[in-house]
Amino acid sequence: MYRLLFKSFFRTKIFLVGLILLMTVGVIGILIGKQYLVKQEKTISAAQEFQEESIKRNINYHKDDLGLLLYYLRFTLIKKPANISAISIGQSDVNPLMQAVTIRGLEGQKYDTDFENPSLLMSGNLDLSFVIIYLFPLVLIAMTFNLYSEEKELGTWRILASQTAKRANFLLKKLVVRILFVFTVLIVLLFMASAILDIPMNQNFWALFLQSLLYITFWSVLCLWMISLQKKSSFNALALISIWVVLTILIPAMVNSYVINKYQVPEALHAMVEQRDGYHEKWDLEKDVTMTGFYEAYPQYKNYQVPQDKFSWIWYYGMQHMGDLAAKETSAQMTEKIMLRNNLSEKFALFVPTMHAQLSFNTLAGTDMISHINFLKALTEFHENLRLGFYTKIFDNKTADAVNWQEHEAKYYAINRDFNWFYIILPTLMVTLVIGVFGMWNLQKL
Amino acid sequence: MRKNVIFLLAHQLCKDVFRSKVMVVALGLMILLVCFSGYSGWENYHDQNYARDAIQDEVQESWENNPDKHPHRMAHYGSFALRIKHILSVFDLGMENFVGNAVFLEAHKQNTVNFSEASMSTGLLRFGEVSLAMLLKVIVPLLIFYLGFATIAEERENGTLKLLIGQGITRKEIVCGKWLGLYNLSLIFLIPIFLILLCFVLFGTHDTSSGTSLMRYGVLLLSYVLFFGILSAITILVSAFSATAKSALVKLLGVWLLFVIIVPKSLQAIGYYLYPTPSKIEMETAVEHDLSLQGDSHNPDDAHFKAIKDSVLLANNVSSTNDLPFNYGGFIMAKGETLSTKIYLEHQDRLYKVYAKQNNLERYSAFINPYTAIKNISMAFSGTDFQSFLHFKDMAETYRYNLAQEMNQLQMEFIPNSGKAGPNTISSDFWKEFPPFQYQFMSIRKVFQNELISILALLFWGFILFYGLFKLSNNLKAI
Repeated sequence: MYRLLFKSFFRTKIFLVGLILLMTVGVIGILIGKQYLVKQEKTISAAQEFQEESIKRNINYHKDDLGLLLYYLRFTLIKKPANISAISIGQSDVNPLMQAVTIRGLEGQKYDTDFENPSLLMSGNLDLSFVIIYLFPLVLIAMTFNLYSEEKELGTWRILASQTAKRANFLLKKLVVRILFVFTVLIVLLFMASAILDIPMNQNFWALFLQSLLYITFWSVLCLWMISLQKKSSFNALALISIWVVLTILIPAMVNSYVINKYQVPEALHAMVEQRDGYHEKWDLEKDVTMTGFYEAYPQYKNYQVPQDKFSWIWYYGMQHMGDLAAKETSAQMTEKIMLRNNLSEKFALFVPTMHAQLSFNTLAGTDMISHINFLKALTEFHENLRLGFYTKIFDNKTADAVNWQEHEAKYYAINRDFNWFYIILPTLMVTLVIGVFGMWNLQKL
Repeated sequence: MRKNVIFLLAHQLCKDVFRSKVMVVALGLMILLVCFSGYSGWENYHDQNYARDAIQDEVQESWENNPDKHPHRMAHYGSFALRIKHILSVFDLGMENFVGNAVFLEAHKQNTVNFSEASMSTGLLRFGEVSLAMLLKVIVPLLIFYLGFATIAEERENGTLKLLIGQGITRKEIVCGKWLGLYNLSLIFLIPIFLILLCFVLFGTHDTSSGTSLMRYGVLLLSYVLFFGILSAITILVSAFSATAKSALVKLLGVWLLFVIIVPKSLQAIGYYLYPTPSKIEMETAVEHDLSLQGDSHNPDDAHFKAIKDSVLLANNVSSTNDLPFNYGGFIMAKGETLSTKIYLEHQDRLYKVYAKQNNLERYSAFINPYTAIKNISMAFSGTDFQSFLHFKDMAETYRYNLAQEMNQLQMEFIPNSGKAGPNTISSDFWKEFPPFQYQFMSIRKVFQNELISILALLFWGFILFYGLFKLSNNLKAI
């Protein structure tokens, strides 16, 4: 029975079109991921070179004054590229891959962006996750919308019905053939991605794998339900495409607009101004104002005397730090707002498989908002360690020789997103089960 | 062709459609969506601009309140430029959320424009955004296809087409009548949205240039009116030349998916693939490299600046820079600023040329994809396209450059050279004299120039399809 069903399916036009479309776009998606990884690597090696080069050159110019030298030097913290991110590029094209910072105030450097073409950002990346989330359901819809109605419209249903005892089973088998085909293409593409992009087969990969399969199962069940309503072909096509538009475009976009408006982040702009003013006003104030605050933050430097009548580096870097302290609270509020945005989006996503698929892909690939926030936290720590490492030497008025510059190559930060299997799998599974039950129930009445 | 016959057919189509369930669902959905996107668009525009205006004022106030000090301190104190949204961004968000909103302007350095909404958003942003324009560009075309796919094909299937022709109605009249009916229906979606928008434009409080806003509005209206005419024509023609209503629907859905989702995105991706861009760190390295070749003011032994020094000494007939009639430090910084800005802008220009190449693939595809044409026109005239952003960025950079050079000038004039007597600060009155940053939107002429291709493409489509309606309709099969 299955053999014949497969045979007849392979002869349809949509089989060939679907196969070619999914494979071509899928491979393009993988290649775009590859290009993204290559660009990352190029950027990283450029950054390493830049850092080494600029340290060398600046030491030449300002050898005797470590304070001045460190005014210019920039130190890079890089997100260690994970190859799985090429499957779901997510927000990692909006948020920079790395940040090169001086030991001056961090707040003014933390949010610097990389150059990206905004048109590209707007249209989004054509990565494999896009192909899975958008195109696979479309092909599935195209293959199944007239599964029953076509037989009915062509008049073959009566013949079939008279020859099979279980009509529902026949339809189910027809559906299974198509679903199996789509699944095969999906699995092939995922393994191809793993091979071409050199993705290790770790937990994250398998979770992504499972999420993709579940997501496609969700759409299969949705198609099954639509078929079970026994409407005309045109109605099915129209309804399924409408559902697709609602799930992949309208609801996510509306949720996003709602979330953005509900939690606006003017704090970002306020923190920017506060940092500048917090630093610059200190130039016009008594030196003690700066130093009291600085000693409070770092009591270990209390022994250093600050000359009242002339410039000193401890005062200068103290002022810089005051800028960061001035913006600290607002900056924390900003991060909090972003987290609120994230949490609310995730809550909505629990009920909408398309959104859940995208967000969990991004989480698993380490390209979501939280990964970037974690990076910014690591950057803050990195910056503090740098400062504390240099402060003593600067305040002692040492020269550039006092520092072992070999140690100061570009550093990596490893994104480590742990995830909860239940959270990844359960939401889509529940929605799928509910629709599946309705679909099967309808079908039994056939 | 008889007018009354065409009107009769058009009227009949409208009446039929209003009886169908699809229209009821579509209208209900659209009312909901229009309310949602109109409200959220307005709220976003209003709140954001309000916050940014307030901060821009605050920035100016703190600039003016600085005490007497050395002008170079003020050059580093710098200023901020905040991007103000155009009132029409309520209509079309365009790239609004993907470009930065604020930039710190200081001497020696071109900072990036930061805090784009995208950088503070979750992955959901990639599903797209709802705006009034998005409804007109993406959702309404689909509705037009839904409402119109059966028009002629079904009449043929039912055999009523034969009857119509038998009654002496010409094929041209049938096609034109159906087109007119569907077009009227599509305007039912268009008109309320543009009426709402008109209120926004007229009563949008943040905008001082409502005259040009109205012109932009007019262009948008005309473009969408033409676009819907094109869409209705596509629908009718596909329906006319499909054997069954079902196949017409499948074709139209395919057209929609290709035009709206797949082709624009693929072309953008291909453009990106073909023309790689440097990362920021690569460009900065290149800028520093060029700078070190031409003259690095931070390098005490730099040849370029040594030559400047020698010529200045010679021209003023003194032996030491301390004896110059103006502040030498200010003079050198002014020269350095000119040079580094020139080099930076050259590199930036090159980068934007690559962006333009990446985008052109999609831009020129407007001749095969009318959606691209309307998308670009809509963004540009709503002041939310890339060019509008660059316009802001250019203005901010010009302001930054003037600020730095003004401070250098003040330093040259009023600060004594080292070892000479005189005050090391200047009066705070000078800060108040420096005008605040004020953003002006791009002139509508410039927008026309930028979008010439898209406008031509849309007109081209209009011409082709109306030609199609008149000529091809003679070949309409009755059975």
